[in-house]
Amino acid sequence: NVVNVKISILIISFPNSLHPSIFSAMPAYKLYYFDIRGRGEVVRQVLALAGVEFEDIRLPRPSDGPQWAEFKSKTSFGQMPVLEIDGKQIPQAFAIVRFIASQHGLAGATPFEAAWVDAIADQWKDFHTEFSKYLFVKLGFREGNEDLLKAEHGFPSRDNFFPLIEQQLQETGSGFLVGDSVTWVDLLIAEAVQVIASAEPGFLDAFPEVLKHEQKIHSISRIKKWIESRPDQKR
Amino acid sequence: KLTYFDGRGRGEVARQLFHLSGVPFEDNRIPMAEWPAHKASMPFGKMPLLEVNGKPLPQSYAIFRYLAREFGFVGDSPFAAAWVDAVADQFKDYFDEIKSLLFVHFGFAQGDKEKMMKDVAIPARDKFFPMLEKIAKDNHNNGHFVGASLTWVDLLIAEHVSVLLKYMPGFLNDYPTVLSTVKKINSIPKLKEWIDKRPDSTF
Repeated sequence: NVVNVKISILIISFPNSLHPSIFSAMPAYKLYYFDIRGRGEVVRQVLALAGVEFEDIRLPRPSDGPQWAEFKSKTSFGQMPVLEIDGKQIPQAFAIVRFIASQHGLAGATPFEAAWVDAIADQWKDFHTEFSKYLFVKLGFREGNEDLLKAEHGFPSRDNFFPLIEQQLQETGSGFLVGDSVTWVDLLIAEAVQVIASAEPGFLDAFPEVLKHEQKIHSISRIKKWIESRPDQKR
Repeated sequence: KLTYFDGRGRGEVARQLFHLSGVPFEDNRIPMAEWPAHKASMPFGKMPLLEVNGKPLPQSYAIFRYLAREFGFVGDSPFAAAWVDAVADQFKDYFDEIKSLLFVHFGFAQGDKEKMMKDVAIPARDKFFPMLEKIAKDNHNNGHFVGASLTWVDLLIAEHVSVLLKYMPGFLNDYPTVLSTVKKINSIPKLKEWIDKRPDSTF
């Protein structure tokens, strides 16, 4: 308990630094990402839901410190998130999430259900590639003509993607996207919905099951606790 | 039953997995002109679509991973399988950048090939292929991109590299380990057999 208290204090006082490895009680899992939700949030949520202890390493933006440049040279793909397990890295958010989820019953109850989890996630990725052209301007991360991008990318991508999710929820009837228990794609979609709905209230009002799903997923006790404890960020 | 266009494109890896495993399947090829009539019956409005005992599964990588798991081409440990997924997703990001030039080569779009080579293809290549070359080297140049046995990401990359060699010869001359890995993959007897007998297509 004394050791655990010391570790907690260090985590609070050095939020953006790497911890010394002399603390042998440190978790085996280290997640490296920027200090935003972004592509790392679903990884953090899957780890939290699975009850896996992990070091939530948040590196400052390149303009605010050298840590990312230093870490980048040690990665295979020069990107984050990266999960490090006893020193071995796994890159790419979905690869990481699937790896953790599969070991904790969060990847679908059968191989076919797992494939549908993957399919919905990849469909979201296609949506996000298009939608982010509008969203990142709306959130102020990029310059651009917000109204034009909304017309060219925001509305069309929303109207291609969310009817599929609405229908999927109607078909499963379980409140979950695949089968009758929570999977990692529930976390992925609920996170996206929260980001979009808070950036632009009303934008998803045509999709009542989608909005209900977000509420349901975010009231799962471990997810609720995580959301309450994480930094307050727009995305 | 696999439903896709009459070409290799985003369906070919699934066909290869069936042929490598010896599991029979219906190779349902839809002519371009008939595609609009089928689109509404696809869960996500796109192909490829896999049907397993009549139950549909969309999205190419979900299909590849499902078949690879069933047939034993997913990696020899959960950690290896995660790396197969990671390399595939990194490849997908690269492919999204270069596909606009490939579509011009395939005849699906108009474009200035030389300009696109300079503006689109070379930057995309120079971001991705050095990383892939190192991955192949770190894997002891053993003829696979991840682990010591054939996985679906080997097939994914080998198919794409074959397309590049056909339409853009010399494009990957700086990546000899990638090229030798692809050569070894394409010489696997059951795969070579399929490659030699499959229908021809531009894409």
